[in-house]
Amino acid sequence: MTMRPGMIQATDAFERIVHWTMAISCIILFITGLGMMFHSLNFIGTIMGGLKSLKYVHNWTALIFGFSLIFAISMWWKEAGVIEMPDDLEWIKCAGGYLWHVDNPPESGKYNPGQKMFFIAVALCGPMMVVTGLLMMFQILPVGLTRWMYTLHAVGFVTLFAFFFVHVYLGTIGNPGSLQAMTTGWVTRGWAKKQHPKWLREMEEHGTLVVYGEEKKGAPGGHH
Amino acid sequence: MAEKIKLYDDAKCTACRGCQLACKQWNALKAGQTKQWGSYQNPPTLQPNNYMIIHFQDVKDDKGGVKWLFRKEACMHCTDAACVTVCPSGALYYNKEFGTVGLNRDLCIGCKNCTAACPFEVPKYDATTDKVYKCDMCESRLANNMTPACVKACPTGALSWGDKEAQLKKAAARAKELGGSATIYGDKYVGGTHLMYVLSEKPATYAGVQIDPSVPLSITLWKGFLKPVSLLAAGGILVGSFLHYLIHGPKLPDDAGDAGKKEGGE
Repeated sequence: MTMRPGMIQATDAFERIVHWTMAISCIILFITGLGMMFHSLNFIGTIMGGLKSLKYVHNWTALIFGFSLIFAISMWWKEAGVIEMPDDLEWIKCAGGYLWHVDNPPESGKYNPGQKMFFIAVALCGPMMVVTGLLMMFQILPVGLTRWMYTLHAVGFVTLFAFFFVHVYLGTIGNPGSLQAMTTGWVTRGWAKKQHPKWLREMEEHGTLVVYGEEKKGAPGGHH
Repeated sequence: MAEKIKLYDDAKCTACRGCQLACKQWNALKAGQTKQWGSYQNPPTLQPNNYMIIHFQDVKDDKGGVKWLFRKEACMHCTDAACVTVCPSGALYYNKEFGTVGLNRDLCIGCKNCTAACPFEVPKYDATTDKVYKCDMCESRLANNMTPACVKACPTGALSWGDKEAQLKKAAARAKELGGSATIYGDKYVGGTHLMYVLSEKPATYAGVQIDPSVPLSITLWKGFLKPVSLLAAGGILVGSFLHYLIHGPKLPDDAGDAGKKEGGE
């Protein structure tokens, strides 16, 4: 978990702050949302001083989530929001070697297509959750349309909730060495070579690789 | 359980609005200021402080003249009530004895799920209290073997309260007696409502009547399908991840053995 000479910078501090702001607000939204979705989970509201307080926690946390989304989408969409053909298609065809044995899975860039799909899901469902949530709070649409805001809010929840667990698994024990990309920001060279060889090679070629303990050759590997 | 319903017979209604006043009085609802909008129908719509209104409507009769058409609008007390389905706090509930839909306002969190879900658009949200208001069929009176206040006040017998079976028979006989396009409204929708009408005209003739109302599809998809799917999907992912870890194993750097020693088991 610590930085040692020879490690590679994967994210900068701003990216990590945005990530964790979004992650924590999202988890609070999950928990409070579940407290309203299931009567059996109403006790979550009791902890917060009543279900009405829980409603306010949910609605105000959504504001923080919405702001972190703006930063997340604007800084990551170029790297994680664009599926590149045909390389990414090849990766998708063999699921990146994650589900069955693949001798030589296609090499990933900074984000593999799986990560890109997660980003796209968040980038689409996140704003949808904010917009539908606001229209549920402020019912300015005709009632026939307002009803569908609830359905869409639930569709977004199903998607994000499922992806959340995939993300947690693959970001921790599923890919050892990945978590520190979002904690300290530094990863080992061996990890980068295995997980994102194309990204590592490109940074070496462009001289943008930032190695711990060495003088910076160029801009950090994260977003500008 | 003796399921009971309130029957409104518009042909017997004189629109005296005694029921409106009795409703206000029993529920201690304050009067609101309204504007003259060219109709005796006042207040013009249901409001947080207004659980029921009598609709006033001019319609042409067979002889080319004009006649009044009245209708009582209030919570229909559905058997399959969308508001109860969507209420997150249990504030809206079915009265176990009568089958009506009660509202425990202490539990209401003002989320407005019910105002969107109700096919009759009955519950009304009050921003000052951040709570929702609607007719609860005078549950406090029912619990003490009294009839709803509106029924008690009705001088013509247009409103009646009684066992569902008996009321349905009465309604059928009355519709037959009225003849023409007279019909019962409420018995076929949302599992049967606990406020039913004997309408002297076709339902479509009445302003604001929902033709063939049902629990909205969006609400059924949300609560009947997506809600369980959210847990099933997440549970499937968790189980899948665990199995993936056991069967496929984590993805380690190629020199993991070596690095593992050096880097403390990453």
